[in-house]
Amino acid sequence: MSGPVAISAKGRGKSHALEITDVSKKFSVAGRQVQALSHIHLAVDEGEFVSIVGSSGCGKSTLLRLVLGLDTDYDGDIRVDGHRVERPGLDRSIVFQEHRLLPWLNVEANVAAALRQSGLSAAERGELVRDHLHLVGLDQFAKAHPAQLSGGMAQRVAIARALVTKPRFLLLDEPLGALDALTRLRLQDELQRIVRHEGTTAVLVTHDVDEAVYLGDRIVIMHPHPGRIATVLPVTAAVSRDRSDPNFIRLRDEVLSWLGVSRTGNDAGAELARRSA
Amino acid sequence: MGAGQATALSGHGDSTAGAAPTHRRIFPAAGALALGLVVPLGLLTAWTVAALLGQLPEQILPPPWIVFDTLLEGIQDGSLLSSTVTSLKRVAEGFAAGALVGLVFGTAVGLSKTLREFVDPLFLALSQVPTLGWMPIVILIVGIDEGLKIIVIGWSAFIPVVLNTSQGVRDVPEAYVELGRVLSFSRWSKLTMIVLPSAIPSIFTGLREGLANGWQTLVAVELIASFEGLGYLMAYGRQLFQLELVLSAMIVVGLIGLAFHGLLTLTENHLQRWRPETPR
Repeated sequence: MSGPVAISAKGRGKSHALEITDVSKKFSVAGRQVQALSHIHLAVDEGEFVSIVGSSGCGKSTLLRLVLGLDTDYDGDIRVDGHRVERPGLDRSIVFQEHRLLPWLNVEANVAAALRQSGLSAAERGELVRDHLHLVGLDQFAKAHPAQLSGGMAQRVAIARALVTKPRFLLLDEPLGALDALTRLRLQDELQRIVRHEGTTAVLVTHDVDEAVYLGDRIVIMHPHPGRIATVLPVTAAVSRDRSDPNFIRLRDEVLSWLGVSRTGNDAGAELARRSA
Repeated sequence: MGAGQATALSGHGDSTAGAAPTHRRIFPAAGALALGLVVPLGLLTAWTVAALLGQLPEQILPPPWIVFDTLLEGIQDGSLLSSTVTSLKRVAEGFAAGALVGLVFGTAVGLSKTLREFVDPLFLALSQVPTLGWMPIVILIVGIDEGLKIIVIGWSAFIPVVLNTSQGVRDVPEAYVELGRVLSFSRWSKLTMIVLPSAIPSIFTGLREGLANGWQTLVAVELIASFEGLGYLMAYGRQLFQLELVLSAMIVVGLIGLAFHGLLTLTENHLQRWRPETPR
């Protein structure tokens, strides 16, 4: 499904699935230039799950919009399989923080909406929609309207809609950020299972460090003003995807310290608590 | 505004799972209808009592039973019915034409900034001119026959439909427009899946206003250039000081307007049956 991606004249040898090369982006806010992204380099391999963490204003969502092709006014180069991204395409799907389901369509029709430009027959579409509603566990709610769903259910429909086109890339823009803590934990497991099942390459933007460590194969840490990559940490096999494992906690603390939330800060808090007790 | 708006849109319904809400709407509607009858029935009672006590001279305000008799008579001898049919036909044709063209034009103006810049000033200026102001010119061009009535009624319905439709089309939440781009929607898909469903409340506001305008214009145009119809009946009754005739024509116009309004509301509710409950 490479139709919507324009073919570049430059031939390349071995290319990554997604290659972001020296990307900078400026916004003009109230007449002033604001540097949203500065010299971003990032390569994502086939089947990889990359988490991007950073405080608000670090440009992580802007980066996703550029990869998606919603905004093509930037410096640098974003390539999918060596082809420069020129516009949105069905090879790249996104789940937004808000579910963005169309309230006038039922669940089934919302998922099917993603297949309108797919060129598949009605029967094929119906089957894909059924499969993906099953995948997110909402077979029973095919005829329900978004207003009748809980926040977690609606977000699962949004995930089904993003995956029904069998995209090469699943872009996740704080997809669980608006959910309550319990639903979020449950959906993190579900997201992990689904992405593995589909074999999709995923880029997750989040400010939840636990989520980034839990889901990512690599963690990209971004700093704001201007938005830039501070470091990239691999999530080694030793981090066993168990939130209470010492290795998990160590990596999480390392990410936190990169984000300027230092252990000493926590210790100071604990010290205060101890003193006031 | 993108994110904020979309969050607000998705804000409701965290608790309600399942439950089909169709039948819920009928009972509040019946309740509202009963409440809506209180004031008219009160006025009717006051009118009857005042007439019975001889407080109202018949030449100024005939008692309700005489109006009722006139109404019955008009129905029985067919004069009121044929007037009603004539007027209904004029409003239906004029409104249908005006609303249809208005929908297409309003959607186009709402979608295209260029078109908007081209026609907006002219259209806004023209729409300020009362419909009756156009009549002499229209009469010069098309004469005084049915064409005149259809055009004038159509124009009066056209204006609010265009204004509200284009506003509704422009007010489509940015988050949905962006979704359409992400899903690589064609123009047609964008229009039918996102823009029009989102603009339905505005479109129906325009249609309701257009319909009310249509009836008002009908009466005005029949006063000036007609020998049949409910407007003509009113003019005729006024000239002969037969106020019961005027009043019965007014009642018919009011009832038909109410029926049309109800029909539009039912259609709108049907198109928006996905809404968790009826607003307002």
